[in-house]
Amino acid sequence: MSIKINLPSYFLPYTNEQEVVEVKGATIDACLKQLVRQFPGLKKMVFDEKGKLHAYVGLYVNGEDAYPEQLAKPVKEGDEIHILYIIGGG
Amino acid sequence: MLTEEELERYDRQIMIRGLGEKGQEKLKQARVVIAGAGGLGSPAAIYLTAAGVGTIQIIDHDKVELSNLNRQVLHWDKDVGRDKIESAREKLSLLNRNVRIEMVKETITEANVSRLVAGCDVIIDAMDNLPTRFILNRAAVENRIPFVHGAIYGLEGRVMTVLPGQTACLRCIYRGLTPRGKFPVIGVTPAVIGCIQATEAIKCITGLGQLLTNRLLVYDGLKMKFTELTVKKDPDCEHCGHLLEDSRP
Repeated sequence: MSIKINLPSYFLPYTNEQEVVEVKGATIDACLKQLVRQFPGLKKMVFDEKGKLHAYVGLYVNGEDAYPEQLAKPVKEGDEIHILYIIGGG
Repeated sequence: MLTEEELERYDRQIMIRGLGEKGQEKLKQARVVIAGAGGLGSPAAIYLTAAGVGTIQIIDHDKVELSNLNRQVLHWDKDVGRDKIESAREKLSLLNRNVRIEMVKETITEANVSRLVAGCDVIIDAMDNLPTRFILNRAAVENRIPFVHGAIYGLEGRVMTVLPGQTACLRCIYRGLTPRGKFPVIGVTPAVIGCIQATEAIKCITGLGQLLTNRLLVYDGLKMKFTELTVKKDPDCEHCGHLLEDSRP
């Protein structure tokens, strides 16, 4: 199964400027684990020291908020995951 | 009742289908709170003043700094060191003398927020930090006031409108905080987002069109792309979860 992960621009320094990464996995968690294996610098951007998703990271599947399942949400071939940081500047 | 001068001034927008003189009258009677006279607050205030919103209350406790001038277009070279509210009042009053500009030099806190937003028709969230945005969001929810959120970072921006009790609020979609600090920004980004916030405020007041509710609009200036993400009202939201679905703001 191939799933696209769309990355925010502030992740690009850790992915050799790659904006979209294709991964395989049955849940968002499995997809993100594969993502950080491929780009280890992203691990601290997505997960805290205990391996939990940072509270300021938002996850969307095919444009819809993955909350409350978040990491546990199932995904299937052709799905697109968006990762979004909370921003507060004005 | 619109005056002859107002009919002429707003002639082009009165022509907009669905707005008309009735819509213009609604704008004239409206009261909008703009929280923050910075990057987002500047364009929002300018366009709401130009559109003829009757009363605009701007809340800001800061003074103008040189490093603000790349984006906070209400403030000019000569204003460095002045209170932002004074600088903003001067420009907005010159733009449209029909609009009542009220200035509040206070820091928004949980203790004063309900007093600051009392009686307004729309709140524009033009803050520069998340904790104050959450204070405003909660006050909007508690007082059933439509709330137009906007935020920026670099060349990226976000906008969402909240109808308390009916649609997802800021806390439904943002459940954490990011570390506070200096954020990158160039003026064109808050210009885009602040103008969208002003558009949403005008629509809230006049009833025109479809509001940006349950949708988070993400603007990417680098790719020049707008993405719409669907968000949901969280029944367990600590700010709005207690409100019934059918309650009206």
